[in-house]
Amino acid sequence: MPWKQGYTISDEISLADADVRWPDGKRCAVHIVVDLNLASGPDGITPGDLTSPAAVFAANDGLDGLLRALAGSGLKATFAVPALIAECYPERIREIVGRGHELAAHGLKGEDVSGLSRTEEAARIKLASELLTAIAGERPAGWFSLPRQTDRFAGGSISANTIELLLEARYAYMGNGLADDLPHYWVTDVGQRRAILTLPYYYHFDDQFFCMFPAQGTGLENADMLLRNWRAEFDAQYRRGRFFTMTLHPQHSGWGHRLAGLEALLAELGRRPQLWNATGAECARHWQSAYPAASQLGLEASIWQDYPDSLS
Amino acid sequence: MPQSLKEELDALTAVAAHNGRRFRLLQRPAWPNAARIAVNLTVDFDAMLLRRLNNEPPMELAKGEFGGRVGIWRLIELFRTHGVKATIFTPGRICELYPRALAAAVREGHELADHMWEHRVPKEPAVARAHLSRTKAALQLISGRAPIGSRSRYPSALLREVGFLYNSHGARSHLPYLVCDDDGDPAILELPFHFAIDDAMFFSFAWYASANAGQRLFDPDRVFDLWWAAFEHQYREGGYLNICLHPFVSGRALRIAMLDRLIERMRGAPGVWFATCEEVARHCLAQNAPGLLTASAAAATAE
Repeated sequence: MPWKQGYTISDEISLADADVRWPDGKRCAVHIVVDLNLASGPDGITPGDLTSPAAVFAANDGLDGLLRALAGSGLKATFAVPALIAECYPERIREIVGRGHELAAHGLKGEDVSGLSRTEEAARIKLASELLTAIAGERPAGWFSLPRQTDRFAGGSISANTIELLLEARYAYMGNGLADDLPHYWVTDVGQRRAILTLPYYYHFDDQFFCMFPAQGTGLENADMLLRNWRAEFDAQYRRGRFFTMTLHPQHSGWGHRLAGLEALLAELGRRPQLWNATGAECARHWQSAYPAASQLGLEASIWQDYPDSLS
Repeated sequence: MPQSLKEELDALTAVAAHNGRRFRLLQRPAWPNAARIAVNLTVDFDAMLLRRLNNEPPMELAKGEFGGRVGIWRLIELFRTHGVKATIFTPGRICELYPRALAAAVREGHELADHMWEHRVPKEPAVARAHLSRTKAALQLISGRAPIGSRSRYPSALLREVGFLYNSHGARSHLPYLVCDDDGDPAILELPFHFAIDDAMFFSFAWYASANAGQRLFDPDRVFDLWWAAFEHQYREGGYLNICLHPFVSGRALRIAMLDRLIERMRGAPGVWFATCEEVARHCLAQNAPGLLTASAAAATAE
């Protein structure tokens, strides 16, 4: 096995708390992600998804609520948007960008790409990038592969080619990785130190797994647990001086009492001193300049030995 | 009663009787220094190995990788803060993936014990033996001493044969108990582990292929309350508690903060013995089956 291929995507040890530096001597980073995917299944957004009650709510009241909560606390967010959603609601997308939030790509139609051929996936990345650029007037810097509520696993699905294709398409960062709770490098070629900057994601901080999960009507409503998770993680990361991230959906967090809880939390964050609230692109830019892959990645030679009676 | 039903009942009764001879439950141990309870903090350091074995997708492996890059270091830091020693059940492959974290754990005085080679017990006896021996050698290379315990489904006879004293897998009693061989003689000590005191049961998605409707996405406060109640119960009785932590689960900042509060509160109760599994095992064996200690020492010398 060359290096630790098939087991790990990054190096052996994360950056220690004491070595983390944020711009202007800030204490802790906060990255808020708003996911506008409406796909209910792996094929991506369907006619049924676009005509569901949640879709209407998400595009109107829900999004209004999140934008108001962000504005009220003076916080910026990164919006992870399937190109199809931008095509359906171009005015809303321009409004989001106009308010100073970042627009990032979330697939062509929020689909699971793990079964696509390399050519097909590359074509979809290219098309999605072009469509979003045309609507927002700027090429997205980040790409997200966030999970859907019905996914078998809650980490987001990618193919064996996705990360390399994102590098080829010149994306500055991958928006959701689980191997760290700091920005980190997802390595595709150890010899060349070829890697993409990856921002942390964790489904315990993603509203879709706590709001009528896994399905409207039959799922479990645990919005209180979600708020406790967010608070506990934020307090712990603030103490450590690391990175706090949360993932919101207008159809989930934009509703009624859930929105009230979110507003209270965001207001608390907005008042916290020494907080660096950044968009994904800003996080990536800071990390790549403060901790460049060339000097930061510790990729020791693999000491792995193969045996006929175990996996390689 | 018809003859066939009678035979069936007799056969089932015999099964229960035979099973009864396989285990010897023990009296409440007299812990060192008149402690009221022994607490084993145990770490199952499998990182992404089980997810790899199950052919789970890339993001699932990355979720496990967090345990090796970040989580294990935070647990070591947490234990140092409280001055407590833990047992780290380590698959042999982890010695190749995260040697520096293991070396740090050994420097801090934690115990390294077996957690299979790649998180499975092979069906073929020869392969199982090879996996166990290989893991034992890999751990010994890092810790400088032969491991004497396991968390696995390896047969007790095999564990005993390689010189092991304990396993920490079953939950047939609140207290440590003896697993016996076919002749009814003690073969190994079991340090009971219960899924209700396992972080993965509360904070993990798709654990053991569980369906979306049965997901484990609780907040830390709930688990703090449950585990404190578990501690209080055994503290009242004068017993034993084994807490199972996975670095990729408990190593998350919000849960380290919860464990910090939990250990702090347990330390506040007088007479809590925080020990490694090896210390508890040797203590229980000396009281109940000293012959096993002698046999294990002889096996180690012979090697």
